[in-house]
Amino acid sequence: MNAYRWVVRGVYGFFGVLILAVVAFKVFQPVQVLPRVRLGPGFILVDQNGAPLTNEDLRGKVVLYSFFYTRCPGDCYGVIPTLQYVQAQAPAALGDIPFRIVLISLDPEHDTPERLRAYAERVGAQPDRWVLATQPDPQRLRMLIGSGFNMYYDPQPDGSIRFAPRYVLVDGWGIVRGEYKYETLTSTEERIVRHLGVLAEEIRNSQGSAKLAYEAAHFFLCYAP
Amino acid sequence: MSSGAKRGLGWALGALLLIVLGWWGWQRFRPYAFHGTVLQSAEPAPDFTLMSADGPVSLSDFRGRIVMLYFGYTFCPDVCPTTLFEVQKTMELLGEDADQVQLIMISVDPLRDTPERLKEYVQYFHPSFIGVTGSEDEIAQVATQYGIYYEKHEGTPATGYLVDHTATLTVVDRKGYVKLIFPYGTPAEDMAADLKYLIEH
Repeated sequence: MNAYRWVVRGVYGFFGVLILAVVAFKVFQPVQVLPRVRLGPGFILVDQNGAPLTNEDLRGKVVLYSFFYTRCPGDCYGVIPTLQYVQAQAPAALGDIPFRIVLISLDPEHDTPERLRAYAERVGAQPDRWVLATQPDPQRLRMLIGSGFNMYYDPQPDGSIRFAPRYVLVDGWGIVRGEYKYETLTSTEERIVRHLGVLAEEIRNSQGSAKLAYEAAHFFLCYAP
Repeated sequence: MSSGAKRGLGWALGALLLIVLGWWGWQRFRPYAFHGTVLQSAEPAPDFTLMSADGPVSLSDFRGRIVMLYFGYTFCPDVCPTTLFEVQKTMELLGEDADQVQLIMISVDPLRDTPERLKEYVQYFHPSFIGVTGSEDEIAQVATQYGIYYEKHEGTPATGYLVDHTATLTVVDRKGYVKLIFPYGTPAEDMAADLKYLIEH
Protein backbone atom coordinates (compact mmCIF):
# COMPACT_ATOMS: atom_id res chain seq x y z
CA MET A 1 0.00 0.00 0.00
CA ASN A 2 1.13 3.47 -0.84
CA ALA A 3 0.60 5.06 2.58
CA TYR A 4 2.50 2.23 4.26
CA ARG A 5 5.46 2.81 1.95
CA TRP A 6 5.47 6.46 2.96
CA VAL A 7 5.47 5.50 6.61
CA VAL A 8 8.53 3.31 6.05
CA ARG A 9 10.24 6.11 4.13
CA GLY A 10 9.40 8.49 6.94
CA VAL A 11 11.05 6.24 9.51
CA TYR A 12 14.17 5.77 7.35
CA GLY A 13 14.24 9.47 6.64
CA PHE A 14 14.01 10.34 10.31
CA PHE A 15 16.87 8.13 11.39
CA GLY A 16 18.86 9.10 8.30
CA VAL A 17 18.57 12.78 9.17
CA LEU A 18 19.38 12.03 12.82
CA ILE A 19 22.54 10.10 11.98
CA LEU A 20 23.61 12.70 9.42
CA ALA A 21 23.09 15.44 12.00
CA VAL A 22 25.25 13.61 14.55
CA VAL A 23 27.99 12.90 12.00
CA ALA A 24 27.90 16.51 10.77
CA PHE A 25 28.13 17.77 14.37
CA LYS A 26 31.14 15.56 15.02
CA VAL A 27 32.88 16.30 11.70
CA PHE A 28 32.25 20.03 11.34
CA GLN A 29 32.20 20.75 15.09
CA PRO A 30 30.05 23.87 14.97
CA VAL A 31 30.56 24.12 18.71
CA GLN A 32 33.92 23.52 20.36
CA VAL A 33 34.70 23.30 24.04
CA LEU A 34 37.62 22.75 26.37
CA PRO A 35 37.67 19.37 28.15
CA ARG A 36 36.79 19.11 31.82
CA VAL A 37 40.05 17.55 32.90
CA ARG A 38 39.75 17.18 36.67
CA LEU A 39 39.08 19.13 39.84
CA GLY A 40 41.50 21.98 40.30
CA PRO A 41 43.45 21.86 43.57
CA GLY A 42 42.40 23.32 46.89
CA PHE A 43 44.95 25.61 48.53
CA ILE A 44 45.76 28.57 50.68
CA LEU A 45 48.61 30.81 49.52
CA VAL A 46 50.05 34.14 50.66
CA ASP A 47 50.04 36.83 47.97
CA GLN A 48 52.45 39.71 47.27
CA ASN A 49 50.62 41.89 49.82
CA GLY A 50 50.92 39.26 52.54
CA ALA A 51 47.19 38.50 52.28
CA PRO A 52 45.80 34.96 52.10
CA LEU A 53 44.63 33.71 48.70
CA THR A 54 42.52 30.53 48.51
CA ASN A 55 40.94 28.65 45.64
CA GLU A 56 37.58 29.69 47.15
CA ASP A 57 38.50 33.36 46.63
CA LEU A 58 38.97 32.54 42.94
CA ARG A 59 35.65 30.74 42.49
CA GLY A 60 33.65 32.46 39.76
CA LYS A 61 36.81 33.65 38.03
CA VAL A 62 38.67 32.10 35.13
CA VAL A 63 42.23 31.56 36.40
CA LEU A 64 45.48 30.85 34.61
CA TYR A 65 48.09 29.37 36.95
CA SER A 66 51.78 29.31 36.26
CA PHE A 67 54.97 28.79 38.22
CA PHE A 68 58.27 30.60 38.68
CA TYR A 69 60.68 31.93 41.28
CA THR A 70 62.07 35.45 41.55
CA ARG A 71 65.71 34.37 41.14
CA CYS A 72 64.77 32.55 37.93
CA PRO A 73 67.18 33.77 35.23
CA GLY A 74 66.07 36.11 32.45
CA ASP A 75 62.46 35.78 31.38
CA CYS A 76 62.15 32.53 33.38
CA TYR A 77 62.06 30.15 30.42
CA GLY A 78 59.50 32.28 28.62
CA VAL A 79 56.97 32.25 31.45
CA ILE A 80 57.02 36.02 31.94
CA PRO A 81 56.52 37.10 28.28
CA THR A 82 53.77 34.48 27.92
CA LEU A 83 51.91 35.85 30.92
CA GLN A 84 52.46 39.45 29.78
CA TYR A 85 50.89 38.54 26.44
CA VAL A 86 47.94 36.78 28.14
CA GLN A 87 47.44 39.70 30.52
CA ALA A 88 47.22 42.09 27.57
CA GLN A 89 44.97 39.90 25.41
CA ALA A 90 42.64 38.44 28.06
CA PRO A 91 40.15 41.34 28.25
CA ALA A 92 39.43 41.07 24.51
CA ALA A 93 39.02 37.29 24.73
CA LEU A 94 36.91 37.19 27.89
CA GLY A 95 34.90 40.43 27.83
CA ASP A 96 33.46 41.07 31.29
CA ILE A 97 34.11 37.55 32.61
CA PRO A 98 36.40 37.93 35.66
CA PHE A 99 39.94 36.67 35.08
CA ARG A 100 43.14 36.29 37.11
CA ILE A 101 46.64 35.14 36.46
CA VAL A 102 48.08 33.44 39.55
CA LEU A 103 51.84 33.05 39.39
CA ILE A 104 53.06 30.75 42.14
CA SER A 105 56.62 30.90 43.42
CA LEU A 106 58.39 27.57 43.92
CA ASP A 107 60.90 29.21 46.29
CA PRO A 108 58.95 30.18 49.44
CA GLU A 109 62.04 30.50 51.65
CA HIS A 110 63.46 33.27 49.52
CA ASP A 111 60.36 34.78 47.91
CA THR A 112 58.81 36.90 50.63
CA PRO A 113 55.76 39.07 49.85
CA GLU A 114 58.14 42.07 49.46
CA ARG A 115 60.21 40.26 46.84
CA LEU A 116 57.07 39.09 45.04
CA ARG A 117 55.74 42.65 45.05
CA ALA A 118 58.97 44.04 43.62
CA TYR A 119 58.98 41.35 40.94
CA ALA A 120 55.32 42.06 40.09
CA GLU A 121 56.18 45.71 39.49
CA ARG A 122 59.19 44.83 37.38
CA VAL A 123 57.23 42.58 35.02
CA GLY A 124 54.21 44.90 34.84
CA ALA A 125 51.69 42.66 36.62
CA GLN A 126 48.47 44.65 37.02
CA PRO A 127 47.18 43.96 40.55
CA ASP A 128 43.58 43.37 39.42
CA ARG A 129 44.60 40.82 36.80
CA TRP A 130 47.85 39.22 37.85
CA VAL A 131 48.64 38.00 41.38
CA LEU A 132 51.94 36.58 42.62
CA ALA A 133 51.79 34.22 45.59
CA THR A 134 53.42 31.30 47.33
CA GLN A 135 52.82 28.79 50.11
CA PRO A 136 55.27 29.64 52.92
CA ASP A 137 55.49 26.02 54.13
CA PRO A 138 57.80 24.22 51.65
CA GLN A 139 56.26 20.83 52.40
CA ARG A 140 52.71 22.02 51.76
CA LEU A 141 53.90 23.79 48.61
CA ARG A 142 55.44 20.55 47.39
CA MET A 143 52.14 18.76 48.01
CA LEU A 144 50.14 21.45 46.21
CA ILE A 145 52.40 21.56 43.17
CA GLY A 146 52.90 17.80 43.08
CA SER A 147 49.50 16.30 43.79
CA GLY A 148 47.41 19.39 43.00
CA PHE A 149 48.99 20.58 39.74
CA ASN A 150 50.77 17.30 38.87
CA MET A 151 53.99 19.16 38.30
CA TYR A 152 57.53 18.25 39.24
CA TYR A 153 60.20 20.70 40.34
CA ASP A 154 63.64 20.16 41.67
CA PRO A 155 65.36 22.70 43.95
CA GLN A 156 69.15 22.69 43.45
CA PRO A 157 71.81 23.26 46.14
CA ASP A 158 72.79 26.58 44.50
CA GLY A 159 69.28 28.00 45.05
CA SER A 160 68.08 27.55 41.47
CA ILE A 161 65.05 25.39 40.73
CA ARG A 162 64.71 23.02 37.81
CA PHE A 163 61.25 22.87 36.29
CA ALA A 164 59.53 22.91 32.92
CA PRO A 165 57.23 25.90 32.30
CA ARG A 166 53.60 24.99 32.75
CA TYR A 167 50.27 26.76 32.57
CA VAL A 168 47.01 25.47 34.01
CA LEU A 169 43.64 26.97 33.07
CA VAL A 170 40.87 26.58 35.68
CA ASP A 171 37.27 27.73 35.22
CA GLY A 172 35.00 29.51 37.70
CA TRP A 173 33.71 26.17 39.04
CA GLY A 174 37.24 25.14 39.99
CA ILE A 175 37.61 22.63 37.16
CA VAL A 176 40.86 22.30 35.18
CA ARG A 177 40.07 23.09 31.51
CA GLY A 178 43.52 23.24 29.98
CA GLU A 179 47.13 22.28 30.69
CA TYR A 180 49.95 23.66 28.60
CA LYS A 181 53.26 21.97 29.07
CA TYR A 182 54.64 21.16 25.64
CA GLU A 183 55.39 23.41 22.73
CA THR A 184 52.94 22.89 19.89
CA LEU A 185 52.84 24.27 16.35
CA THR A 186 51.00 27.33 17.54
CA SER A 187 52.75 29.22 20.29
CA THR A 188 51.58 28.55 23.83
CA GLU A 189 50.49 32.13 24.48
CA GLU A 190 48.31 32.27 21.37
CA ARG A 191 46.80 28.92 22.22
CA ILE A 192 45.96 30.05 25.77
CA VAL A 193 44.30 33.25 24.56
CA ARG A 194 42.31 31.33 21.93
CA HIS A 195 41.19 28.89 24.63
CA LEU A 196 40.10 31.80 26.84
CA GLY A 197 37.81 32.81 23.97
CA VAL A 198 36.42 29.27 23.65
CA LEU A 199 35.79 29.12 27.39
CA ALA A 200 34.12 32.54 27.35
CA GLU A 201 31.72 31.39 24.62
CA GLU A 202 30.73 28.40 26.72
CA ILE A 203 30.28 30.48 29.87
CA ARG A 204 28.08 32.97 27.99
CA ASN A 205 25.98 30.08 26.64
CA SER A 206 25.68 28.15 29.89
CA GLN A 207 21.97 28.95 30.21
CA GLY A 208 18.91 27.63 28.39
CA SER A 209 18.86 25.71 25.13
CA ALA A 210 22.30 26.86 23.96
CA LYS A 211 23.71 24.86 26.88
CA LEU A 212 22.55 21.66 25.17
CA ALA A 213 24.76 22.31 22.16
CA TYR A 214 27.74 22.77 24.49
CA GLU A 215 26.92 19.63 26.46
CA ALA A 216 26.69 17.79 23.11
CA ALA A 217 30.13 19.15 22.21
CA HIS A 218 31.46 17.72 25.51
CA PHE A 219 29.73 14.42 24.80
CA PHE A 220 31.20 14.13 21.30
CA LEU A 221 34.61 15.33 22.49
CA CYS A 222 34.59 18.36 20.17
CA TYR A 223 37.67 19.86 21.83
CA ALA A 224 39.30 23.04 20.61
CA PRO A 225 42.81 22.23 19.32
CA MET B 1 -9.01 8.31 -4.46
CA SER B 2 -6.96 9.97 -7.19
CA SER B 3 -3.24 9.35 -7.25
CA GLY B 4 -2.62 13.02 -6.42
CA ALA B 5 -4.73 12.78 -3.28
CA LYS B 6 -2.94 9.56 -2.31
CA ARG B 7 0.41 11.21 -2.73
CA GLY B 8 -0.76 14.15 -0.64
CA LEU B 9 -1.95 11.81 2.08
CA GLY B 10 1.41 10.02 1.96
CA TRP B 11 3.33 13.27 2.43
CA ALA B 12 1.06 14.33 5.25
CA LEU B 13 1.47 10.97 6.99
CA GLY B 14 5.23 11.06 6.52
CA ALA B 15 5.47 14.57 7.91
CA LEU B 16 3.24 13.71 10.87
CA LEU B 17 5.35 10.65 11.58
CA LEU B 18 8.53 12.68 11.49
CA ILE B 19 7.11 15.13 13.99
CA VAL B 20 5.87 12.37 16.30
CA LEU B 21 9.15 10.45 16.09
CA GLY B 22 11.12 13.62 16.61
CA TRP B 23 9.10 14.54 19.65
CA TRP B 24 9.40 11.02 21.06
CA GLY B 25 13.13 10.94 20.38
CA TRP B 26 13.61 14.29 22.07
CA GLN B 27 11.67 13.23 25.16
CA ARG B 28 13.49 9.91 25.27
CA PHE B 29 17.06 10.93 24.45
CA ARG B 30 17.37 14.60 25.36
CA PRO B 31 20.31 15.12 27.67
CA TYR B 32 19.40 15.26 31.34
CA ALA B 33 20.11 18.69 32.81
CA PHE B 34 21.96 18.12 36.08
CA HIS B 35 21.42 20.55 38.94
CA GLY B 36 24.99 20.09 40.16
CA THR B 37 28.07 21.18 38.24
CA VAL B 38 29.02 18.43 35.80
CA LEU B 39 32.60 17.22 35.59
CA GLN B 40 32.85 14.43 33.06
CA SER B 41 36.50 13.90 33.89
CA ALA B 42 38.54 11.50 31.78
CA GLU B 43 40.71 10.74 34.80
CA PRO B 44 39.64 8.55 37.72
CA ALA B 45 39.12 10.33 41.03
CA PRO B 46 42.28 10.14 43.16
CA ASP B 47 42.04 7.15 45.48
CA PHE B 48 42.71 7.45 49.21
CA THR B 49 42.72 5.24 52.26
CA LEU B 50 41.72 6.83 55.56
CA MET B 51 40.67 5.55 58.96
CA SER B 52 37.12 5.02 60.16
CA ALA B 53 36.05 3.63 63.53
CA ASP B 54 35.46 0.30 61.77
CA GLY B 55 38.82 0.11 60.02
CA PRO B 56 40.47 1.59 56.92
CA VAL B 57 38.21 2.94 54.16
CA SER B 58 39.31 3.48 50.55
CA LEU B 59 37.39 5.24 47.82
CA SER B 60 37.99 2.18 45.62
CA ASP B 61 36.05 0.01 48.11
CA PHE B 62 32.89 1.56 46.71
CA ARG B 63 33.19 0.81 42.97
CA GLY B 64 29.71 -0.02 41.75
CA ARG B 65 28.11 2.49 44.09
CA ILE B 66 27.86 6.25 44.00
CA VAL B 67 30.00 8.02 46.58
CA MET B 68 29.37 11.49 47.97
CA LEU B 69 32.47 13.02 49.54
CA TYR B 70 32.06 15.71 52.14
CA PHE B 71 34.90 17.51 53.86
CA GLY B 72 33.95 18.82 57.32
CA TYR B 73 34.57 18.41 61.03
CA THR B 74 32.53 17.46 64.06
CA PHE B 75 32.99 20.77 65.91
CA CYS B 76 31.58 22.56 62.85
CA PRO B 77 28.94 24.99 64.11
CA ASP B 78 26.49 25.34 61.23
CA VAL B 79 27.64 24.58 57.69
CA CYS B 80 28.33 20.87 58.22
CA PRO B 81 25.11 19.99 60.08
CA THR B 82 23.08 21.91 57.49
CA THR B 83 24.71 20.02 54.63
CA LEU B 84 24.48 16.63 56.34
CA PHE B 85 20.79 17.18 57.12
CA GLU B 86 20.27 17.96 53.44
CA VAL B 87 22.03 14.71 52.48
CA GLN B 88 19.90 12.87 55.05
CA LYS B 89 16.80 14.28 53.33
CA THR B 90 18.27 13.28 49.95
CA MET B 91 18.63 9.70 51.19
CA GLU B 92 15.00 9.72 52.31
CA LEU B 93 13.89 11.02 48.91
CA LEU B 94 15.87 8.26 47.19
CA GLY B 95 13.95 5.63 49.14
CA GLU B 96 15.07 2.15 48.15
CA ASP B 97 17.81 3.55 45.93
CA ALA B 98 19.53 5.08 48.96
CA ASP B 99 21.66 1.96 49.40
CA GLN B 100 23.27 2.79 46.02
CA VAL B 101 24.71 5.97 47.55
CA GLN B 102 27.46 6.16 50.17
CA LEU B 103 28.31 9.37 51.97
CA ILE B 104 31.86 9.64 53.30
CA MET B 105 32.75 12.57 55.50
CA ILE B 106 36.47 13.34 55.53
CA SER B 107 37.63 15.30 58.56
CA VAL B 108 39.52 18.55 57.99
CA ASP B 109 40.25 18.63 61.73
CA PRO B 110 42.30 15.47 62.24
CA LEU B 111 43.68 16.72 65.58
CA ARG B 112 40.30 16.70 67.32
CA ASP B 113 38.23 14.28 65.21
CA THR B 114 38.94 10.72 66.28
CA PRO B 115 37.40 7.92 64.18
CA GLU B 116 35.04 7.13 67.07
CA ARG B 117 33.90 10.70 67.46
CA LEU B 118 33.34 10.92 63.69
CA LYS B 119 31.29 7.74 63.66
CA GLU B 120 29.02 8.98 66.41
CA TYR B 121 28.66 12.31 64.63
CA VAL B 122 27.81 11.10 61.11
CA GLN B 123 25.52 8.31 62.31
CA TYR B 124 23.45 10.91 64.08
CA PHE B 125 22.45 12.03 60.56
CA HIS B 126 22.13 8.64 58.85
CA PRO B 127 23.13 5.13 59.89
CA SER B 128 24.89 4.47 56.58
CA PHE B 129 27.17 7.53 56.70
CA ILE B 130 30.88 6.90 57.21
CA GLY B 131 33.35 9.33 58.80
CA VAL B 132 37.10 9.05 58.15
CA THR B 133 40.24 10.83 59.24
CA GLY B 134 44.00 10.45 58.93
CA SER B 135 47.30 12.18 59.62
CA GLU B 136 47.53 15.91 58.90
CA ASP B 137 49.58 15.18 55.78
CA GLU B 138 47.14 12.57 54.49
CA ILE B 139 44.19 14.94 54.94
CA ALA B 140 46.10 17.81 53.32
CA GLN B 141 46.85 15.62 50.30
CA VAL B 142 43.28 14.41 49.78
CA ALA B 143 41.85 17.91 50.29
CA THR B 144 44.32 19.39 47.80
CA GLN B 145 43.44 16.81 45.18
CA TYR B 146 39.69 17.34 45.60
CA GLY B 147 39.92 21.13 45.37
CA ILE B 148 39.16 21.62 49.05
CA TYR B 149 40.71 24.50 50.93
CA TYR B 150 40.67 24.49 54.73
CA GLU B 151 42.25 26.63 57.38
CA LYS B 152 42.15 26.80 61.14
CA HIS B 153 41.22 30.08 62.74
CA GLU B 154 40.28 31.46 66.13
CA GLY B 155 36.86 30.68 67.56
CA THR B 156 35.48 31.51 70.97
CA PRO B 157 36.48 29.78 74.21
CA ALA B 158 33.21 27.84 73.95
CA THR B 159 33.79 26.49 70.45
CA GLY B 160 37.58 26.21 70.48
CA TYR B 161 39.25 26.90 67.15
CA LEU B 162 37.15 26.76 63.98
CA VAL B 163 38.10 25.44 60.56
CA ASP B 164 37.09 27.35 57.45
CA HIS B 165 36.61 24.93 54.60
CA THR B 166 35.16 24.45 51.14
CA ALA B 167 31.62 23.24 51.71
CA THR B 168 30.86 21.47 48.44
CA LEU B 169 29.76 17.85 48.04
CA THR B 170 31.70 15.82 45.46
CA VAL B 171 29.88 12.99 43.68
CA VAL B 172 31.99 10.06 42.44
CA ASP B 173 30.19 7.75 40.00
CA ARG B 174 30.06 3.96 40.04
CA LYS B 175 33.22 3.64 37.97
CA GLY B 176 35.20 5.90 40.27
CA TYR B 177 35.16 9.17 38.28
CA VAL B 178 34.20 12.53 39.73
CA LYS B 179 30.87 13.22 38.08
CA LEU B 180 29.22 16.16 39.88
CA ILE B 181 29.86 18.89 42.38
CA PHE B 182 27.02 20.18 44.54
CA PRO B 183 27.70 23.67 45.86
CA TYR B 184 26.77 24.47 49.46
CA GLY B 185 23.02 25.02 49.72
CA THR B 186 21.93 22.65 46.92
CA PRO B 187 18.40 21.50 47.96
CA ALA B 188 17.86 17.81 48.73
CA GLU B 189 15.29 17.57 45.92
CA ASP B 190 17.89 18.61 43.34
CA MET B 191 20.55 16.26 44.71
CA ALA B 192 18.07 13.37 44.82
CA ALA B 193 17.02 14.01 41.20
CA ASP B 194 20.64 14.02 39.98
CA LEU B 195 21.54 10.91 41.99
CA LYS B 196 18.42 9.11 40.79
CA TYR B 197 19.44 9.82 37.21
CA LEU B 198 22.95 8.48 37.88
CA ILE B 199 21.52 5.36 39.52
CA GLU B 200 19.18 4.67 36.61
CA HIS B 201 21.66 5.31 33.78
